[in-house]
Amino acid sequence: MSKGLKADLEKCTGCQMCALICSASHTGKFNPSESRINVEDVFPEPGEFRMNHCTHCDEHPCVEACPVEAIKLNESLGIYYVDKDECTACGACVDVCPYNGCWMDPSGSYSIKCDLCNGDPQCVEVCPKGVLTR
Amino acid sequence: MAADGYTGKVLRVDLTNEKISTEPLNKEWAKQYVGGKGLGAKYLFEELKPGTDPLSPDNILSVWTGPLVGTLVPLTSRYVIVTKSPLTGTFLDSYAGGFFGPEIKYSGFDGLIITGKAPKPVYLWLDDGKAEIRDAKNIWGKDTYATEEIVRKETGQKMARVASIGPAGEHVGLISSVTNDLTRNAGRGGTGAVFGSKNLKAIAAKGSLGVEVPDMDGLLKMAKEMIRTDVVDNPDHAGMITDGTPILVEMSNDAGILPTRNWNDGTFDGHEGINSEAIKSRVFVRKRACFDCALACGTWAKVRRGIFKDSASEGPEYETLGLCGSNCGIKDVEAVVKFVEECDREGLDSISTGNAVAMAMELYEKGVLSKDDFGGLDMRFGNAEAYVKMPAMIARRQNIGALLADGTKRAAQKIGKGAEEMVVAVKGMEYPAYDPRGSIGMALAYATSDRGACHLRAWPVANDAYGSQDPWNPEGKAATCVEDQTRTSIKWSFIFCDFYGVSFPNMAKYYSAVTGNPSSEEHLRSLGRRIWNLTRAFNVREGFARKDDTLPEKMAKSPLRSGKTQGKSVSKESFEMMLSEYYSLWGWDSDGKPTKETLETVGLGDIVPRLSYLR
Repeated sequence: MSKGLKADLEKCTGCQMCALICSASHTGKFNPSESRINVEDVFPEPGEFRMNHCTHCDEHPCVEACPVEAIKLNESLGIYYVDKDECTACGACVDVCPYNGCWMDPSGSYSIKCDLCNGDPQCVEVCPKGVLTR
Repeated sequence: MAADGYTGKVLRVDLTNEKISTEPLNKEWAKQYVGGKGLGAKYLFEELKPGTDPLSPDNILSVWTGPLVGTLVPLTSRYVIVTKSPLTGTFLDSYAGGFFGPEIKYSGFDGLIITGKAPKPVYLWLDDGKAEIRDAKNIWGKDTYATEEIVRKETGQKMARVASIGPAGEHVGLISSVTNDLTRNAGRGGTGAVFGSKNLKAIAAKGSLGVEVPDMDGLLKMAKEMIRTDVVDNPDHAGMITDGTPILVEMSNDAGILPTRNWNDGTFDGHEGINSEAIKSRVFVRKRACFDCALACGTWAKVRRGIFKDSASEGPEYETLGLCGSNCGIKDVEAVVKFVEECDREGLDSISTGNAVAMAMELYEKGVLSKDDFGGLDMRFGNAEAYVKMPAMIARRQNIGALLADGTKRAAQKIGKGAEEMVVAVKGMEYPAYDPRGSIGMALAYATSDRGACHLRAWPVANDAYGSQDPWNPEGKAATCVEDQTRTSIKWSFIFCDFYGVSFPNMAKYYSAVTGNPSSEEHLRSLGRRIWNLTRAFNVREGFARKDDTLPEKMAKSPLRSGKTQGKSVSKESFEMMLSEYYSLWGWDSDGKPTKETLETVGLGDIVPRLSYLR
């Protein structure tokens, strides 16, 4: 059973407040490019929103792919997070993830993915349309 | 970068010499004028030579954000184009939501100041503090949808945000717009023509520089609380969440102010085919929000059957439903979806375009124009199949479109034969969708707006035709306009969306939290008064005065024909009385010019020496 965020995209309006608060709470800046969740608005065709974020899947191929064991277990939440100080930015996790759930920080110096905000995901709290749940 | 909401940088682009430079934002001006409208007005007043031809290389095309844009302060996704309008000759500030505004900030700029004319078509690419003038050969001639797609491929950024002109702006049509994120338009006043006159096809941006504030934890806490209590749960916003602006179609029809068949009536027998219920039941696909908006008033709409099947667009919004629907005698929302998709693709202001097509329809029915003028089309009111061909005809200056492309006033002057009496515009800018013959407050709002007939500076219709006040009693309307213009002047400087009913104290709270500057209701009111006086001074410097704050003759001479407004008009006596009272409330002389004392009181003493009427 995935421990990550669940998204009901039928409710999504593409406002990006999830990405905005994610970047602010992780980096101290409003900067959706550094967010751990992102929304693509794909219009006019097919006219829908797509959301990318780590699903915290049970298989976690990223953990196996990481050559320096920088993706570590948060024991209290039972999920894996990227220790950016140990990440070498090789991109193996990005390549192996089947969910497009992690990507490189714009600085190019480490990969980023959802860490569930230590159990209190800010995107879930801010989403005005109830798209996201844990 | 200081942690005060601003990037602290302004980009200057000289297209003639293909030169780009970055300079620090004038922080003193930022304190006095904030951003958006105010800051854009200050730079324009200081830098544009009076009397400049708006379509000449000397005109300044500027694009501004504000300190709150790109933050979590709700409903602050907007940008503004500030320039001298080629349609009206006045100051012009034209706004759009979507995603382009925040991307300018993330790219590292508070504003862009563009002058000159490129030797060949170009577009501007902003990328993390860098800017580049690029060859537009692959996008010139393309519509705005195709332009966005091609620019994303050329820049390799699949989520690059693009603001571009369509064929209408390329042909320097004076009712052309700048379109971003497919369906959002800095629509009014001929912004597209200014781009076109400079050979500037588009501005595209993708940034990852971020926006900083003094106390992020404090701001997030406050913003989360306000998003809930002041936006989502605010009862004033309920209609915007459930319906969006189309909710106004029925309200206007009931009040007798829904423009119908080129402003010859205020109620429309086909209103049920273009109202909010029609949208929800016939073309609704999903809600589509602008960046950072918890309301999501926008609707992505798609036609499911009939001759316009698969046409898709956002909206249509109320103004479009009124002017491109009832005002053209169109009874089916599907046709309006197709028409507004065409306007967005071609890069046309749907308010002015709806007015232009409605006037052409009246001229056709009266025999002044013939099928030949429309390339063989039967352009009677209500002929949806013919009317959807008009945006392309206007944008590309084909047939009668060659004249309509420059708006109703100029077209009518060239057509003659009584056409001038059918123009419904102020200073050459066509009316939005509220007939002043059933809302006398709007008569004053249109006449005194700083960019021609506009509903976004004062909106007294809220209290008269839609509210409990007598819509024909001029008393108190001047005060309402002054209050609204003060509030919107500062609101458009942050830049908040129109649909956030944000109070002065809350604006002050947000401003302080983002910039670290102290603020209060009175502080923001004083800025609002300063900014409105500055745009007035700009227009006076360009030669505008009381003689221009007028309404078309039709408002007094031609009463409406049915419903609540049957037999109603705007009396000249009432109008002049309101106008005099309005000037007096602002502290302007009887000719509508700000006095020296007034300018000094609002903090504009520095511009007094540069206004010839005060010498």
